[in-house]
Amino acid sequence: MNPGVRKIVPKPKALNCPNCGSAIELRAMGAATTVVCSYCSSTLDAANPQLVILQKWQSQMTVQPLIPLGSRGNLFGAVWEAIGFQQRGITVDGTDYFWREYVLFNPFKGFRYLSEYENHWSFVTPLPSIPVPGVNNYNRPTMTLDGVVYNHFQSAQATTSFVIGEFPWQVRVGEVVGTADYVLPPRMLSAETTVNEVNWSRGEYVEGAAIWAAFQLPNAAPAANGVYSSQPAPVENRPGRPWKLFLIFAALLMGMMIFFSARARQETVLDQTYTYQPVGAGEKSFVTPPFELRGDSANLQVDVTGAELQNEWAFISMALINEQTGEAFDFGRQISFYSGTDGGESWTEDNRSDSATLPSIPGGRYYLRIEPESESNYVKPTPIKYNVKLVRDVPFYLRYFVGLLLLLVPLVFMGRKGANFEALRWTESDYGVPPAAAVWKSDNSSGDDDDE
Amino acid sequence: MSKFYMIYSSLVAGGLFYSGLTGWSYGSYDEVKGVPKSVRDNPGAYRSHYAGSARYFGGK
Repeated sequence: MNPGVRKIVPKPKALNCPNCGSAIELRAMGAATTVVCSYCSSTLDAANPQLVILQKWQSQMTVQPLIPLGSRGNLFGAVWEAIGFQQRGITVDGTDYFWREYVLFNPFKGFRYLSEYENHWSFVTPLPSIPVPGVNNYNRPTMTLDGVVYNHFQSAQATTSFVIGEFPWQVRVGEVVGTADYVLPPRMLSAETTVNEVNWSRGEYVEGAAIWAAFQLPNAAPAANGVYSSQPAPVENRPGRPWKLFLIFAALLMGMMIFFSARARQETVLDQTYTYQPVGAGEKSFVTPPFELRGDSANLQVDVTGAELQNEWAFISMALINEQTGEAFDFGRQISFYSGTDGGESWTEDNRSDSATLPSIPGGRYYLRIEPESESNYVKPTPIKYNVKLVRDVPFYLRYFVGLLLLLVPLVFMGRKGANFEALRWTESDYGVPPAAAVWKSDNSSGDDDDE
Repeated sequence: MSKFYMIYSSLVAGGLFYSGLTGWSYGSYDEVKGVPKSVRDNPGAYRSHYAGSARYFGGK
């Protein structure tokens, strides 16, 4: 707390309640309009030196303020003293919802308010100007203040159910005002309408912990329940820094793709056509002449093509064997091709070529052991011509697209989380759904109507 | 969140760079150690993991 400010806050003036005789402290003497006795809850005219009773209300302290009246706290650059407290409520679909408001006073800055609902807090400042009404793209009312558009959230009739302390207006239990809230988290514009006037204010969402720290309240701030109308989303679901980072890393991936593609040697180390004779005795497998795979670890693309295959298949088992180390990389590719006519329509099936990319093959001297087999083994003794081509160090583009997808995953997750958060927020509104969802729902329902 | 995303994206980019350097790509094979040098002269001495298994007979 700023000791310099503390000195200038006036000491409360001691008076007595004309209803019950209890001592009453006037903290905003000359500024407050009414003061409510903390013992009998009678509403007194603070502007009158005799504290004339405006409303008698024999009641006990039924609602305990979380911030004791008289507490001082530094919020938004000034020291504020809590001098009044009221509880208000609305009834929606037969259910009562209550929130609490604290009157804050600073002799130089005047009055501010703290609003609390389900342990969500807002610091509320009265507005000297009136926002401009409008309608957003989703046909919902808006209010514009200083060029910023706030979306209508909820309108209701609020009734004061409990008051205590000092107020800058003639507050009474049972007082009814029309309320309308327009939100743009973390801010909210609120209108309070009575028969005679409309008061506008702007609230800014404040974490409970900040309130507790400011007023030096004991224990920890109670955890907030649910999502408040002006609560900022914990995960940003609008384009922001993560999306900028995504663009930077996507560009980096593109750069890597270009770099490694340019660096890839794409060296053909074997390109040979063989003929497989299914019929006849003897070993079908054979080995190729040795070839050199240069450089360090790199991939090896194997293309197998049987250009003359017709209504048959061939499976080529292959083993890439390192002459020096005896290490073998065993794999196989199947090629097949079928065609014909069915009901007057011609058809084809499968593919005469196939390829495999062997990852991270160390450099060295290798040979390929090839062992073909085919349908001809069992049916027809037709020789099969096929080509085997080995290309060392080929570009592998798929990894960069996988990388892009991996970069997108957290952003999609964030967007989904943010959308869920917005859905929860707007559940409490007059509309039940966020503006965008409302349009989607509207579009769907109109489509259903058309179908009918 | 930005910090997490920065670290996460750096790991993704680093992994891709390393895979580019080492020639890693999508694909699989069975690695066999200690193939005798005699296979060079006698290919039938080596038995492929894939040879001899049933194949798909296509066509309608």
